[in-house]
Amino acid sequence: MAASPRLTPRVQRRAALAASGWVALAATALPGGSPLRWIPVLAFVVLAPGLALLLPQPLGLRPGARLEALALAAPVSLSVATLVATTLFLTKAFSLTVFLAVLALFVTVAATLPGVPLPAATRGAVERDSARTSARTAGGTSPLAARFRKRRPGGGR
Amino acid sequence: MQQDRLPTTPVTGGDGVPPQPSAEDREAAEREDAERQAADREAAVRAATQPAAAARDTGTAPAPRDNGTAPAPRDTGTAPAPRDNGTAPAPRDTGTAPAPRPRSGPLAALRTPAAANLAPLVLAAALWLWALPQIDFRSIEEFGLLDRFPVGFYAALAVLTGGFVLTLRRAGTAPLWPATYCAAMLVALKAPPAILYDTVRYAWASKHDAIISRLLTEGTVHPGRELSGGMSAYDQWPGFFSLDAALVRAFGVDAAASFINWAPVALGMLTVPVLILVYRTFSDDWRLVWTGVWIFQLANWVGQDYLSPQGFSYLLYLTVFAVVVRHFVLPGSAGPLRDRSALDPAAAAVPPPTTTRQRAVAVLFLVPVILTINASHQLTPVMLCASLFALCLTRRYRNIGLLVTTGLIMLVWNLTMGRELFLETLGTLREKAGDLLGNSRPGFAGDPTGPGPELVGSANILMVLALGGLAAAAVLLRRRLARSALPLILAAAAPLPMFAVNDYGGEMIFRVYLFGLPGAAFFAAAALVPAVGAASRAAAVARRTAAVALPVTLVALLAGFLPSYYGKEGMHYAPPGETALTRRAFDRAPEGALILAATGAFADSYYRYDHYERWFFTEQEVDENLRMLKDPAGYLAGGIPAGRPAYVILTPTQGEAVIGEGYLPVGGFDTLKDALKRSPLFEVVEESRDGLVLRYRPTT
Repeated sequence: MAASPRLTPRVQRRAALAASGWVALAATALPGGSPLRWIPVLAFVVLAPGLALLLPQPLGLRPGARLEALALAAPVSLSVATLVATTLFLTKAFSLTVFLAVLALFVTVAATLPGVPLPAATRGAVERDSARTSARTAGGTSPLAARFRKRRPGGGR
Repeated sequence: MQQDRLPTTPVTGGDGVPPQPSAEDREAAEREDAERQAADREAAVRAATQPAAAARDTGTAPAPRDNGTAPAPRDTGTAPAPRDNGTAPAPRDTGTAPAPRPRSGPLAALRTPAAANLAPLVLAAALWLWALPQIDFRSIEEFGLLDRFPVGFYAALAVLTGGFVLTLRRAGTAPLWPATYCAAMLVALKAPPAILYDTVRYAWASKHDAIISRLLTEGTVHPGRELSGGMSAYDQWPGFFSLDAALVRAFGVDAAASFINWAPVALGMLTVPVLILVYRTFSDDWRLVWTGVWIFQLANWVGQDYLSPQGFSYLLYLTVFAVVVRHFVLPGSAGPLRDRSALDPAAAAVPPPTTTRQRAVAVLFLVPVILTINASHQLTPVMLCASLFALCLTRRYRNIGLLVTTGLIMLVWNLTMGRELFLETLGTLREKAGDLLGNSRPGFAGDPTGPGPELVGSANILMVLALGGLAAAAVLLRRRLARSALPLILAAAAPLPMFAVNDYGGEMIFRVYLFGLPGAAFFAAAALVPAVGAASRAAAVARRTAAVALPVTLVALLAGFLPSYYGKEGMHYAPPGETALTRRAFDRAPEGALILAATGAFADSYYRYDHYERWFFTEQEVDENLRMLKDPAGYLAGGIPAGRPAYVILTPTQGEAVIGEGYLPVGGFDTLKDALKRSPLFEVVEESRDGLVLRYRPTT
């Protein structure tokens, strides 16, 4: 597939995450209770903040870390959403727009930043990249591989 | 043939830095390795174990005949030779296994593993969908939904169980099939009320609906305001309700009631992946992992999965636990636990250690989750601290920083937002502490009466005994697994000391069970899914026994789950007419009135709770209730403050609850109703099959 170098799947994923909150916010203009409203809103609140925090790894996630990111996405997302909602209610500032806008902003910013470097996520990615690069260059070291090899798998002590 | 073992030196090396990736990391490499050798090994095993072909079909691994020469698995527990044992990385994992004889057409397609896995699922779905409209929930009698479920419903669950056991054979290579069955079982078990019921299931869920509605009306919480019946606690721990209130607004619905009955399914769907993450940390054997998840689902009958702060906080608790066991291993602490020869064949090696910086990042990552637990629920943070403390007892997970952070967050919340209840609880600790028997007693008083509740009580006890027995057997028989999965045992045991502290309103026993469940389910599964790697005669016998014991036990646990979860449904489902009557009664009462009801366990008992005071007069010791039954009207009148407008609401759901919980003897509720109707102290305001509403009429 000849994807544009600027629109790699990873960039597309980040863009989709960043946009999801604003889509959810726009969906609240639809009549109450409509599936076209609650489905995007629910999906955004339950998944987006966690995925935005965990997914954007520089070299993607290996399978084990992908399971971890998917499993943790919902609880982490709901935690962020709970803290936003609680803060808004405690400060008597709750409104639907503010709630979703704060979350959407959080997701947009988080999606543009590198993901939280949980060891399982970074370890696998570094190794896989090193392995791939080594295989490609038959023992040669590309600057990228050299850069990541400095980070020892497991992170040392 | 020599046993193909990894070197016995720990893979961590002398400096504690793992030159090898985690167990999960190794999977890919092992898979490649094993795939290369699969053909050779399979041939060897088949030659050695021809008679075991039948056993293979029942999900057991062929047993090598001789432990000295058998083609033993490579010791990882994930790469044993036979392909069908469920953990071997075989080339069949895509579900397109090569058929013995090349065939084409639909017949051949039906013989593929994918078709074999799909067929029970489709059959169960058809049975379930056929049975669903026949569930006669509107005429529940003494056995709850048990005798209202049609045969097709039970058949669907049995087929799902059978299908799940079959998918375990290839769980290692096609884990999506057991995952699908787990999800299907969750939906099959817990979705019927969500689909069928036209009112909120479960009195306490309806109470939470009332709390969310109030939060939306008020727009804020008042942690310092005194509300009757301990309701101010919900203003002091408003996290979960704030989230729900935000969702109500975001969905554009009137109240949480419109989605509340789906909470058990939703929470289950979110909990299972986290549970898998935990189990995968301790086992490389997918069969064990999925069986553990399955058992967890069936053993989770304690009814804490409704839309509740505790259900939500439990998910977050498991999340914290998962991150801790995966990312908080101290360097140089694994010892022999990364040495394959010292590990149970099904066990996973300890995850690689992390640096202080990595752990600090992980603590920061967990802080929002821990904060949310503290903002949502009172007891879960205590359980979390207990679990983290128990983990600190091991060298592997001695993370004082995380424990202190969690403790500090809890203390800060308790001393600020939760101050009122925290200080009050501290005050009662003096009388409750040490009362082990009292604190572990379920409910307020009495024993369940009536065939339905008695059946539920027996099922509960049998479930606990079965699960505990299986788990204990596995801990004793698979000591190597117990050693590597010690954190699960510690986390399961950590809540036990809570019995020494408080009864939590008669709920402590259920909460302790709930928090012990992940560990108990894992080890119960370990008892039923023997390791495929062991080659001794005893191991072969264990595998043959397990081939029968596993399906039988899963069906038995299912049989225990259904009465435990649905056996008291008469208390949990209220027809719309009944909730309408209750709301009318509340609306009729003036602001500040005293509302009397036999128990609070009925839908809408907390409707607009900040406008009224409630007295649930049978929720006390049975002796006192027997005294009350001698002259109900006089007893109640004696408790109503002078000049206070008071109403009594008695609904059929309350009748079920007071008998079921053992507050009143059989017939006691009718006696109570008749006495109040006859009494000049009370005037009937409304009476129908949906309930009875009376107004207090003081004589002077």
